[in-house]
Amino acid sequence: METASSDMKNFYRQRKSSRGGITKPSSKSTSKSKKKWPKNAAAIGSDITQPRTLISHGAPDLQDDYDKHEEVLRQFDMNMAYGPCLGMTRLARWERAQRLGLNPPEEIECLLKGGKVNSDCLWDGRV
Amino acid sequence: MEAMEIDAEKNLQRKQSTYLSLDETFEIQKETYRGQQYSQIYFARLHLMRTLLYSLVPHWKSHLKVCTVLGLEEEKECIIVGTLYKHMKLKPCILDEYSKERSAVPLVKPHNFLHLDDHLVLEDESGRVKLGGDMLSPSSYVTGVVVALHGKETGSGDFLVLDVLEAGLPPQIELPLQSREDKYVVFVSGLNVGSSTSNPLQFQLLVDHITGHLGDEKEQGIASQIVHVVIAGNSVEIPSGLLNGQNLASKDQSRLSEPVKELDILLSQIAAGVPLDIMPGPNDPANFSLPQQPLHRCLFPGSAAYNTFRSCTNPHCFELDNIRFLGTSGQNIDDLEKYSEAKDKLEFMERTLKWRHLAPTAPNTLGCYPFTDRDPFLIESCPHVYFVGNQDKYGTRELRGSEGQLVRLLSIPKFCETGVAVMLNMKSLECHTLSFGTQFGS
Repeated sequence: METASSDMKNFYRQRKSSRGGITKPSSKSTSKSKKKWPKNAAAIGSDITQPRTLISHGAPDLQDDYDKHEEVLRQFDMNMAYGPCLGMTRLARWERAQRLGLNPPEEIECLLKGGKVNSDCLWDGRV
Repeated sequence: MEAMEIDAEKNLQRKQSTYLSLDETFEIQKETYRGQQYSQIYFARLHLMRTLLYSLVPHWKSHLKVCTVLGLEEEKECIIVGTLYKHMKLKPCILDEYSKERSAVPLVKPHNFLHLDDHLVLEDESGRVKLGGDMLSPSSYVTGVVVALHGKETGSGDFLVLDVLEAGLPPQIELPLQSREDKYVVFVSGLNVGSSTSNPLQFQLLVDHITGHLGDEKEQGIASQIVHVVIAGNSVEIPSGLLNGQNLASKDQSRLSEPVKELDILLSQIAAGVPLDIMPGPNDPANFSLPQQPLHRCLFPGSAAYNTFRSCTNPHCFELDNIRFLGTSGQNIDDLEKYSEAKDKLEFMERTLKWRHLAPTAPNTLGCYPFTDRDPFLIESCPHVYFVGNQDKYGTRELRGSEGQLVRLLSIPKFCETGVAVMLNMKSLECHTLSFGTQFGS
């Protein structure tokens, strides 16, 4: 697909900040550039066909970066050793890991029982 | 002519035994459904079985390392532990309806879905690998069994299996050796009360025999040694024409409940004299997926009044005088028969004990509740008597384990077709049949 500007990076919305986990850390050179959609773009990058924001838990998920507690909990969700994460609350999954003798880290339990964190796994409602 | 002597009235006391129900693992009242999928139960099964197999591997092959499927190195011998998946060509798949190629599907055999091209795959959290070699015969295994395999990865990416380790019979609590009395347990299944093929007189004869209303003193003496009765599923047959989803007319509504009422009358006769356990089966008014929950007490207004009447889960596990009984109404073994091959039903039962899992095909082809943190079908303690109901014929065998376990395998035939119930002697764990007929052969 040819467009006026051949800079591929402008097609895709840049992440505001790079996080670990499954996304590759982006290089330092990417700047917080404004979205520039080529005028004739029909599919990729077009606002009409691709929803701008992810709707999560009934409200638009406008906050792309999440705090470090959520980051730690997402790492816990993705860890294969504790089994599948879908269909269980994070605390239930932690307790199951505890019961099966997998020694899940204590701080996750404290996070889940303490602060205002999301009790459901990161795929909840999205899959 | 001498006057007939009237025997002095002799009171025969029925023997008793202590009963302990172990059905708690099969009850699902405390479970909540939160949208989980079956991956959770497979994870629990793999984890619990793998922990067990890891403890057995050092005794088996101490010089080899255990690794994950993803960590396999080519031409290096190692041990992998995972869940077996059997890829079956003839197994019906919902996606076949949407498949673009409408080529002729090979004809399915009437009794099972086996094909020569079936192959096994081993899977754990990290990945899966196709199994090759002659060691594992796909026709003897089913999806859902957790095993340890010794072998090496070949150049083509397959895992060449050199040896297999199954979990083997679980540990068994030894029975006290001192002489026990002759006490009998009666097993019956497939009564199918309410069906056109069942003979009410046959069942009545069975009930009369158990309660001691039949026969002379010697026979009554035998009946007085019956301490327990177990009904292993398919006790009623609701007329299938009524279950087609249409609204029922009021006269049909009474037809719907007639079989259960008839069953209740007969069960109350049994319960009045001897402790009775009734298990749900595939055709009974209980839930479909395993573990089936106990039939509701409201179905049995007459029998439920007795404290000897117990409605139990399917599978059912209990102890009588410290002898452990474990059994099902047949769904687990029937499903194994569809997807694997063995010389008789007792061999399927033997395999489930060696795999330490009552129903390995659940939830793949056998309906099952999506447990999240446990797999209730794992057999932790070896039973002394392992029974399965609703089979075509009676069969029994003694199975000996490698650590001195002794199990009596018992296949209970369908009563409505054969008129045969089984009596098990708790002293020797030997069985014999009770045959009832209402027609004399000409």
